[in-house]
Amino acid sequence: MIKTVVAGIVFSLTLAIGLAFAQAPYFQGKTIKIVRGGEPGGTGDVQARALIPSLRKHIPGNPNIIVENMPGAAGRKAANYIYQTAKPDGLSIGAVGAGLVAGHILELAGTQYDIDKLIYLGSTESGDPYVFVSHKSAGFDSLDKLRAATGVRIGAQAVGHPIYVSGRLFAYILGLKEPRMVLGYGGPELDIALTRGEVDVRANGADTILSRSRDAMDKGSLQFHASISIPKGRYAAGLPKAPELDTFTKTDKERQLIGLFRTFIYPRWPYLLPPGTPKEIVTTLRGAMTKALKDPEFHKEFKKLMSTDATPLTGEELEAAIKELPRDPEIVALYKKLADQGPIPAR
Amino acid sequence: MDSSLFDAAIQGFINILQWKTFFAMFLGVSIGTFTAVAPQGLGMPLVYAIALPVVIKWEPVTGIAFLIGASSVSAICAAYLPILFGIPGGSGSQATVLDGYPMGKKGEGRRALGASFMAGGMGCLIGTFTLVAAIPAAKPLIYLMGSPELFVIMLWGLSMVAVLAGSRPLKGLIATALGLLLATIGQQAQSGVMRFVYDQPYLLDGMSVSIMALALFGVPSALDLALTKLGVEQQPMPLKGSLFDGVKDCLREWWLVVRCSFVGVWVGIVPGLGSQVVDWLAYGHAAQTCKGGRETFGHGDVRGVIAPESANDAKDGGDLVTTLLLGFPQGVTTALFIVALLAWGFVPGPEMIKKNPEVIYSVVWLQGISGIIGTLIGFCLANQLAKLAEVRYTFMVPIMFMFILLGAYSVNRDPLDLVVVIGFGILGYFMRRAGYPRPAMILGLVLGDLMEKYLYRSVASYGFSWLGRPAVIVLLIIAGGSLYLTLRGKMNANKDASTATFSGAIARSDNED
Repeated sequence: MIKTVVAGIVFSLTLAIGLAFAQAPYFQGKTIKIVRGGEPGGTGDVQARALIPSLRKHIPGNPNIIVENMPGAAGRKAANYIYQTAKPDGLSIGAVGAGLVAGHILELAGTQYDIDKLIYLGSTESGDPYVFVSHKSAGFDSLDKLRAATGVRIGAQAVGHPIYVSGRLFAYILGLKEPRMVLGYGGPELDIALTRGEVDVRANGADTILSRSRDAMDKGSLQFHASISIPKGRYAAGLPKAPELDTFTKTDKERQLIGLFRTFIYPRWPYLLPPGTPKEIVTTLRGAMTKALKDPEFHKEFKKLMSTDATPLTGEELEAAIKELPRDPEIVALYKKLADQGPIPAR
Repeated sequence: MDSSLFDAAIQGFINILQWKTFFAMFLGVSIGTFTAVAPQGLGMPLVYAIALPVVIKWEPVTGIAFLIGASSVSAICAAYLPILFGIPGGSGSQATVLDGYPMGKKGEGRRALGASFMAGGMGCLIGTFTLVAAIPAAKPLIYLMGSPELFVIMLWGLSMVAVLAGSRPLKGLIATALGLLLATIGQQAQSGVMRFVYDQPYLLDGMSVSIMALALFGVPSALDLALTKLGVEQQPMPLKGSLFDGVKDCLREWWLVVRCSFVGVWVGIVPGLGSQVVDWLAYGHAAQTCKGGRETFGHGDVRGVIAPESANDAKDGGDLVTTLLLGFPQGVTTALFIVALLAWGFVPGPEMIKKNPEVIYSVVWLQGISGIIGTLIGFCLANQLAKLAEVRYTFMVPIMFMFILLGAYSVNRDPLDLVVVIGFGILGYFMRRAGYPRPAMILGLVLGDLMEKYLYRSVASYGFSWLGRPAVIVLLIIAGGSLYLTLRGKMNANKDASTATFSGAIARSDNED
């Protein structure tokens, strides 16, 4: 009798423990690795660290989340890793920059992933307006003067960099005469070069101007010639108004060209899963990401670390943006010319 | 200093007088010391990135104390690896290996460490004083030099090859050319052209100087130890000297410390130069100017330790000039420091000088105090760590390889770096045996990229008219004069039929067992 009771208790306990384990969330006790395609301390890295506490809170089972930095090839190395090497078990999440989309569409060297097969969880930020600025000392106190000048020197970091592409896009649409690219600067170095007169004009992101050149802006040392709002119609508060680049376009193709640039920049810091990740895991992580991106704690932390408000995108919004990407070969070819080396094509 | 800045300086000091601040600083200093002794990839950016979300929740001065404490001590204590193991430290402390390791092998590890900490501490204070002096007038310092002037200075730096090549000019030129060639690997930023990439993502960003330095200096040191089966204590010479001998060396060479500290401050201030050139430029400066160094540099001359270490630590002060006074980060660490300042509501740059000068002065005080504490910690640990040199080679060699491989892997977390470090390590070993100066190769790699960038920008901006800029002409004359004096010195030494020229010493030290 006693034996039967003991056996019954043991059986019941085993069953209860088994059921408890069976119902334990998949991520409980596990560690998720966020593979960041950049150095520790970059903007994307800082934003990831703002996101992690909220993301952990909203994933059932509250797994540990660690960041593994995998810099190289402007984030393409990390994207390649997620696409080719990472197990599709939800425990490896890629976090790269806006170059993800451009790398694939423009077939940049080292791109070994397909943006249409990757699975998107969301983005902590959704682009930022770009402006075309000169320093007062360059003497271009109006857009007309800038357009009338020949051989204007446009500063940028490197071929293919968003500042390079946007600088050439501004020059192309504004119809600058024989502009010259001066490259090889870091961002702050470029600000100094602009002030020293080593370059005449540069493109820049609104958030960078607000955080790094506010003093010069407030003093009126910067002349704002044109802008690209991203997404269209959204401009940065506190930045002097400058005419939208779309207003200078002559054809629909030129408008599409600007649209392509917008789409490249729009998903600013996308989070990815490898192709083949089981649907339940994708649903769980997307749901958690959506909640995390809405979490006031995330927004507070983001504001603290970035000094600006977060403008997140959900996984679904990101996926839709990738699907709607303009892929007209003619537009892509023109964009490639602007993003690549060589003279700016004639209009 | 006007009265308002003086008041701010006093207020800045009063603000840090809290137990919390000193506790945070000690915490930062402890972590910084660990990262300095650990393999080089565990650098400050990672520490800052991990600590930032926590630190920004603290009071500003407490958080600043932690961050400044960690970074300043990390630079001061970076000499352990090069001196004790012959493994280059993190960027900014790589040239220390040239004389630090030979000193360790001669049993003078404690003296070398003493000199390194003292030079680091003095450099840190000089950098801090420069920051104080720069507060009223920071901008002209930064806007002083454009791309043409910087190109000429890099050219001047490359002329150091004449020194590093020693008595084997052809081998020196080959090593430099190899370094310059390696610098061309990757996507050329200015044209976008892929050079020697062969569709390999690994090669897109070019060769890492940290990996190459580990390979060319660390692996040969370990191989050497393994193949000769000699631990340092088994050398003919017993462990000798004390930390205070190194201190005395620094005090005696105070003028060298000051000069090299200003090299460090200058590298810190000029945006885009990066920390990886600072030790090489300072070493080159010392190599070209130190009296009597012809016979001793590269053989364990303490001045070859003092020069790079003082410059490396003074650089932090220069970095802060640009970071705090103009709001321009000089690297990942200072970018994160700016993030922290912004999170606390301070906007680095001219606005901060106007609105929060007392915070800038708190940074100054903390930088100075951390420098002193870092030096003291260095002294406290040195005696114990110096005993590592007495460990038998059978233990030492695996430890060295572990540090090298762990260091190489932690730079980019890329297994291919391990292949590169072993491959180039073997090359470094044979270069050493055959008398090809490895420092010349590293110099080519470090300066190649910068020279190309500055020359390109000069021509793209000014055509060839940049050659007529007054500052360029003055710098070209100085660089030419310096090269002439170096070469004349070498020729005179050859005439004396001396085999012990200074540059020869460096080259010989590079290929002797």
